Amino acid sequence: MEPVRERELVDRCRREEPGAFEELVDQFKHLVFALIARTVPDRSRAEDLAQDVFLRIHRGLPYFRGEARLSTWIYRIAVNVCSQERTEEHTRRGAAQVSLDDPDSHLRAPSTVDRRFSDFELRDRLEKAIRQLPTQYRILIAGHYLQGLQYEDLAEAMQLPLGTVKTQLHRAKRQLRQLLEGELK
Amino acid sequence: MTSDPMCAALADAIEPIAAGELTPDATAAAHLSTCVSCAAALEQARRLDQLLRARPAPVPPSDFTVRTLQLIQKAGWRREQMVDWIFNSALIAAALLVAAGIGVALQHTGMPSVGREAFDALSNGMAVFAQRAAPSLPLYAGATGLLVVALGLWWWASDAAL
Repeated sequence: MEPVRERELVDRCRREEPGAFEELVDQFKHLVFALIARTVPDRSRAEDLAQDVFLRIHRGLPYFRGEARLSTWIYRIAVNVCSQERTEEHTRRGAAQVSLDDPDSHLRAPSTVDRRFSDFELRDRLEKAIRQLPTQYRILIAGHYLQGLQYEDLAEAMQLPLGTVKTQLHRAKRQLRQLLEGELK
Repeated sequence: MTSDPMCAALADAIEPIAAGELTPDATAAAHLSTCVSCAAALEQARRLDQLLRARPAPVPPSDFTVRTLQLIQKAGWRREQMVDWIFNSALIAAALLVAAGIGVALQHTGMPSVGREAFDALSNGMAVFAQRAAPSLPLYAGATGLLVVALGLWWWASDAAL
């Protein structure tokens, strides 16, 4: 969405024009939901959190000064919600580690383990490996591979320098690669 | 990775090269073409990048917008109720404070006897009013009941609409 159109939409929402906030939700729901659902594995929890993001946007719009772009401000709220959720989840679970191993893998004889994982298995492993990453890395991976989000958007949303975002993203991918070593063939 | 210093130097560059954000110079390119370990790391990084790009973006449910707007409406309604409750409580507290202040002032100014007379006059007036209103009491009770039912229906309808 172009900055001019974003400003118009904010003004219409502030005037409580009928349908304006609905348009805002429709415009950003895909990105917000995808970002959260990629960070929070429980889908129903992700839905609640995505709704919470829009509730915060609705409450915060009167105070939105327009210094940042609307989209950046929305990503920032979504990132904060993800970070808070991860912190709470860690507290609840006592920072339990997610095992990359299939729970039934110990039942199989090593000789039967197929080193060439099918794409489906590999994707499953990838999701589990992503869950092992620190919150910041997870959010970066989730955001960077969403269509429409640039490095600059992520840097502004996470309030980090552009170089830091790039470095952290590369470190996140390196960590992922190391977690999946032997399976990425 | 091996203990080759070039391998260590390239370790941080594998991901940027795989993402196409960094082009290896001649030395790095030569190393990548000969070092099995670094070449494999680069291949894995490229494969990982492909997998991450191919991850399907989760899609919100079709009624997401409707449910979100309902939630916002409900939250606004609750906030208004809270403001009303705080306002009413403040009003009652202020009235009680004023009444207490008047009582204390009367005690200090030696006006309790005047106050008692005023109270007696008010009680008598109310008694007369009650005697006169007594024949129409069922009518008043019926009207009050209807008003309560109407208010209840309005409240129920507003709540159900959210």
